[in-house]
Amino acid sequence: MTRHTPRLGVQIEEFIAVASLALLVVITLLNVITRYFTDDSFAWTEEISVFLMVVMALAGASAIAGRDSHIRIEFLFNRRTPQGTEVPRHGLKLFAALASSAVFLVLAALFARWVWDQYKFSETSMGLGVPLWWYGAVIPPLCLAISARAFGAFVRALRTPDAGGDA
Amino acid sequence: MIAAFLLLSFLVLMLMGVPIAMGLALSGLVSIAWANADAQWLGLLAGPQNMYSSIAKYPLLALPMFVLVGSIFDRSGVAQRMVTFAIACVGRGPGMLPTVAILVAMVLGGISGSGPANAAAVGGVMIAAMSRAGYPASFSATVVGAAAATDILIPPSIAFVVYSVLVPGASVPALFAAGMIPGVMAGIALIAPAIWLSRRHGFGAAEATLARPPFWASLRDASWGLAAPFLILGGMRLGWFTPTEAAVAAVAYGLFVGLVVHRSIDWRDLYPIFREAAEISAVIMLILGAAGIFSYAINTLGVADPIAQWVKAAGLGSRGTLALVLLALLVVSMFIDGVSIFLIFVPLLYPVAQAFQWDLVWFGVLLTLVVAKAQFTPPMAVNLMVSCRMAGVGMESTIPWVLWFIVSFLVMIMAVFFYPELALWLPRHLGY
Repeated sequence: MTRHTPRLGVQIEEFIAVASLALLVVITLLNVITRYFTDDSFAWTEEISVFLMVVMALAGASAIAGRDSHIRIEFLFNRRTPQGTEVPRHGLKLFAALASSAVFLVLAALFARWVWDQYKFSETSMGLGVPLWWYGAVIPPLCLAISARAFGAFVRALRTPDAGGDA
Repeated sequence: MIAAFLLLSFLVLMLMGVPIAMGLALSGLVSIAWANADAQWLGLLAGPQNMYSSIAKYPLLALPMFVLVGSIFDRSGVAQRMVTFAIACVGRGPGMLPTVAILVAMVLGGISGSGPANAAAVGGVMIAAMSRAGYPASFSATVVGAAAATDILIPPSIAFVVYSVLVPGASVPALFAAGMIPGVMAGIALIAPAIWLSRRHGFGAAEATLARPPFWASLRDASWGLAAPFLILGGMRLGWFTPTEAAVAAVAYGLFVGLVVHRSIDWRDLYPIFREAAEISAVIMLILGAAGIFSYAINTLGVADPIAQWVKAAGLGSRGTLALVLLALLVVSMFIDGVSIFLIFVPLLYPVAQAFQWDLVWFGVLLTLVVAKAQFTPPMAVNLMVSCRMAGVGMESTIPWVLWFIVSFLVMIMAVFFYPELALWLPRHLGY
């Protein structure tokens, strides 16, 4: 038996992404309603919405990395089996997963450095005036999650013997 | 040298099947590091900054919202009622059900902004209905996949939101208005081969014997769904909503219709609906973020301007160059999905567009037309993938049919190319 799904389920990241989207809907809806009645919108909600959008994008991306289904060009990536189905070429699958994991490991480190600067220089946000690193701090862990999910896909592919047809 | 590396390494990574987002980030980061070998952290700190600022844009909020609208209306039960009403309008006979499928896809296009969501909503109703009336499954899948391509032209449209985020000079309302007439023309361009092929091959002869639904009763049932495009587009036109707010109003309206009026959505369905929308958006937004790194590399390495100069010096003239660009994209878009086409090529083509002073709204509509055609052109046909899966046929089986639709759609693209007013008249008339 080969497992195609990660041991630690992607439900965690899925939940974070869903909760962010739901909050985005609620905030934007409240914004429309208050603006309608008071002619005044909460400018500060923009900052939170933008933050939630980034969280949703990265958490969702991590869940998808766990299933190894980010958009790619499959023209050369897949090969046709004698049974007529398309399966990924083993070597390319390994390379793609490892490259993905490496990129997001580097990005996690760069984002950590970026957030460190925000902390060191006590930068504050435009709308709410809160420290910027409050928002920034969630990004490196989410990038690490994407990297770990991609690495998990690499390990699973490595353990799967490249058996001609039904791999 | 580094510039060539940037483009070639990305091309190779892409062909090797590295996910597009990861390939963009990898090529971009390596090129930045190479160019700044003696700087602190190799100048790479520009990477996270540009990635963050490409996603953290308030207008981009319209993207997940319109994706969510698509996921909700896909399950809200409005498609079935619109189909019944459309049959009541056009009647029964050979070629009428395909016409209904295209008309309903166009009206749904006025609610949702994504082609595959539209294909799922229309396919869920029409593929079984067309099969009962004697249309072959491969033909039905073709009609549904092609019909859903009108979705990204008819406002609201996710493609236009993404283009607007990339191109400062083109506002979302102007693009939405510009897509309206080409979108309707695209629908007509698809109805023509659908009817002609049905008549020629005698499809749907059994259809004429089926009962025609009563007009007023089906209009009443369909009215909740038919009102939605008026709410979304009218609300924006009257200045009630920004595009993002229109999307969130449509989310609320769709949930109300699905949960309360038609009762086709259960409270337990909400989680999968939101999950689907969050993940579709996340895939696009991750590419958008990575494309931020890539286009920073393009700009700082000065890749695009020499290309623009070189293209301009080639002496093909404005129209000739544009035709060549569109032809190249027609080929490339057969292998790369639509959003990636925008994210990779718009930053490269923007200087070219400026050098020739192409109208950026018109250019956006032309690119979107190319992408719409690609959505039902094998092998990278996202809409056709959805409809073929629903019909249980392989994509190869659609080729004898889909070629006719592609030819007809290409004629439409040429019309907008030669008569820019088809796109530009409405936004100017509305004052955008």
